[in-house]
This record gives sequence, C-alpha cells and structure tokens, in this order.
Amino acid sequence: MTARLDPRTKLYMILVVSAVVMMSATTPFLWAVRILMTIVPIVLLITEKHYASAFRFLILYTSALVINFTCLSEQSEGFLMAFLVGYCSIIVQFMPAMITAWYVVRTTKIDEFVSAMQKMHFPDGITISLAVVMRFFPTIKEEYLAIRDAMKMRGIVLGEGNIARMVEFRMIPLLFSCVNIGDELSAAAITRGLGGKVKRTSVEILKLGIQDYLLITLFTSVLLIFVVFKYFR
Amino acid sequence: MNKKRLQAKDFITIGIFTALLFVVEFACGMLGFLHPYIVASYVIMIPIVGSIPMMLFYTKIEKFGMLTIMSVLLAIIMFVMGMGYLGAPLIILAGIVADLIAKSGNYKSSKKTVISYGVFCLWICANYFPVIVTADSYRKDLLDGGYSAEYCDNLFRAINYKTIGVLLVLCFVFGCIGAFIGKAVVKKHFEKAGIV
Repeated sequence: MTARLDPRTKLYMILVVSAVVMMSATTPFLWAVRILMTIVPIVLLITEKHYASAFRFLILYTSALVINFTCLSEQSEGFLMAFLVGYCSIIVQFMPAMITAWYVVRTTKIDEFVSAMQKMHFPDGITISLAVVMRFFPTIKEEYLAIRDAMKMRGIVLGEGNIARMVEFRMIPLLFSCVNIGDELSAAAITRGLGGKVKRTSVEILKLGIQDYLLITLFTSVLLIFVVFKYFR
Repeated sequence: MNKKRLQAKDFITIGIFTALLFVVEFACGMLGFLHPYIVASYVIMIPIVGSIPMMLFYTKIEKFGMLTIMSVLLAIIMFVMGMGYLGAPLIILAGIVADLIAKSGNYKSSKKTVISYGVFCLWICANYFPVIVTADSYRKDLLDGGYSAEYCDNLFRAINYKTIGVLLVLCFVFGCIGAFIGKAVVKKHFEKAGIV
C-alpha cells in the first residue's frame, strides 16, 4: 500500500488524539477504544517504513499498559510501587499523543504541510513559523550531537560537575549554530519567493482519498464515543 | 514595503526560537516524571534555563506581534503534546501582555525587557491547568483506578488552587532573575562575537 495520507487528515488525527488524551478512560470498552486509537498511528508508521520507531513505541506502550493493569489489581502501596504506577500511567495517558505527533512530524514533507495549511486558510505567519518549528527539531538534535562529540574530543565530561557550566557549554554553541542556520534559512526562503505579495502555488496537489475519509470517520467516531461516555452517560 | 509588518525572516526567527524554547521545556519536563514535587519546581528551572535563548530572541525583536505569535505556537505545541486546551488562553494572554510591555519600551529598554520576560514566563503555569481545573474528577478517576492515595496526595499537595498563586508569583520572580542571567550570558558570548 503506497497511498499517502493527506496532511489535513494527519492534522485532524492530532486534534482528535490530543482531545481524547485529556479524558481518562474508566470502563473496559473505553480502554479498548483508546488502545485502538494508539494502534492506528503505529500501523501507519509501519506502512511508511519507519519500522524501528514503530517497534520502539509498540514495546514501550505495551509494557506500560501491562504494568499498569497488573499493578492496578493489587494494592499498590509504598513509594516504589506508587512511583512505578504513576510513571506508567503517565506513559499510557500521553503516549498516544506522542506517537501521533511523532508520526506526523516524521512523514509530512514541509511543502505538503504548507500547502495544506494554505488550503485551510491559516494566516501565513503561523504557517511559516510552525513549518520552521517542525523542520528544526531534527536540526537541533544533529547540532547537539555534534557539540557532544566536540566536547568528548576535548575531554570535557558533563561540564566538570558544575550545573551552570553544564548548561552553558551546551547551550551557547547550540544557539550560535541555530542563529546561523536561521539566517541561511531565511535567505533560502526569500529566494523561493516566501513573503512576496503574490499567492504562492505548490507542486504538491492535495486531494483527499478513500483512506483519508476512512480515517477521518474512524477518528470522529472515537471522539464521539469518548464525549458521549464522558458527559452523557 | 511596509516596515511595520512582519516579514518572512521574522517568522523564521520566531520558529527557530520557539523550537529552542520547547527543547528546553521538554528537557526539564523529563525530570518531572521522577516525582510530583519536581513538576512544581518547573517554575524555577524553565525561566532560568530558557532565559538564554529568550534574551537572544529579544535582541532580534523589532516589531509588535513576534512574542504573540510565539505564544500561539507554544499553545499549539502544548495542545499537540496532550497538555490540553485549558492552558491555551493563559499562554496567549501572557504572550500578548509581554509583547505590549516590551513594545512600550520600544523593544530596546532593558528594564521593560526584564518585566516582559517575567510575564512571558507565566505560560509555564498553563501546564498545571489541567491538574487544577479538573482536580476533583481527576483525583476520583485515579482513586477509582486503584491508585494509592499517597501518590495522589503528593501531586495535589504540590499543585492546587492555593499554591497556584504562589507558583505564578515565583514564575514571575524567577523570570526576572533569569532575564538578568540571560542578559549577562548574551553579553558575554554573543555581543563579543558580533552576532547580536
């Protein structure tokens, strides 16, 4: 299956999952719906050939779920138990949003995202800034790894035990490179006509396909189930 | 070309610094998983560590709207990360007020910048909103699920209606302190290098 999802569907998925994450599941049926909702982005990650991250998420989510349920049945007393249960419940609670966000950031190309936002008539300022944010996380990670390598090469470990220096040694070079990258990015963007007065066109032609409608229906029903059970029971 | 309007370059600057600020927030947030009390100490950690990128950002602000857009982006990111929509009005409000304060100093006055950053830091408290506003039902859900009362008590003792006022004040105070630290760092490293 090579059919790609429309960015608008992905954004809708984020919206629904983030809303549902806020409502806690109390009955087994709601738990089943919630787990189903988490499985969908994992499956989507697999279809987009991101096997490693899909596998990692699956393991983490399943183990948190298992620990959560086995410990819930017992009397969870004591510090360690309370800690473990608290940790797992946080993971179970927020993992779906994390997975969906990860999936969307990883599989959406920036030009797709921008043209989708333009089609939904978002203001340009928000669209461009959000696109830069999305593009920038991998860059920050790369730069950070380079800084860490450089520090290792010079034999600086953890900033010599001083917390202020620990932060300073990492933050300052990171800021330097990010500011420079930002300047290059704006030069590149202006060359491509960003910020001009004419309405921009896009190479990507966005069209909702069958898989988009299927997913939108699925996620709408998930949202409806949760709202109905939460407020109209 | 109208000088007052934001250009593409400004939007890109906003995006970069929002990403940096979020990374700082996320790194501190990871520590919060350890114990509920650390969650409450976000109001000290994030303003101080975040002040370094933010003070650099302030040197690049020249027009109204940049801080406001940044707060909108933060609200969107917080929503996506599952923090809910309850905090969004507070985040955006803090952004607009901070923007207005900085504007009244023409984005150059250092005193106004310090106060403006203090106000901007109030967005951190928005993360606590889901815990406070839904406290009763949230607590009931946890207890119904078989959690020990101990964990709940710890969480709700640190964060509730009474302490939120203290947390907000602390956030502002440490924002102002952080602004001074950030300014010193920016002066030490970036002005010498000629980036500012």
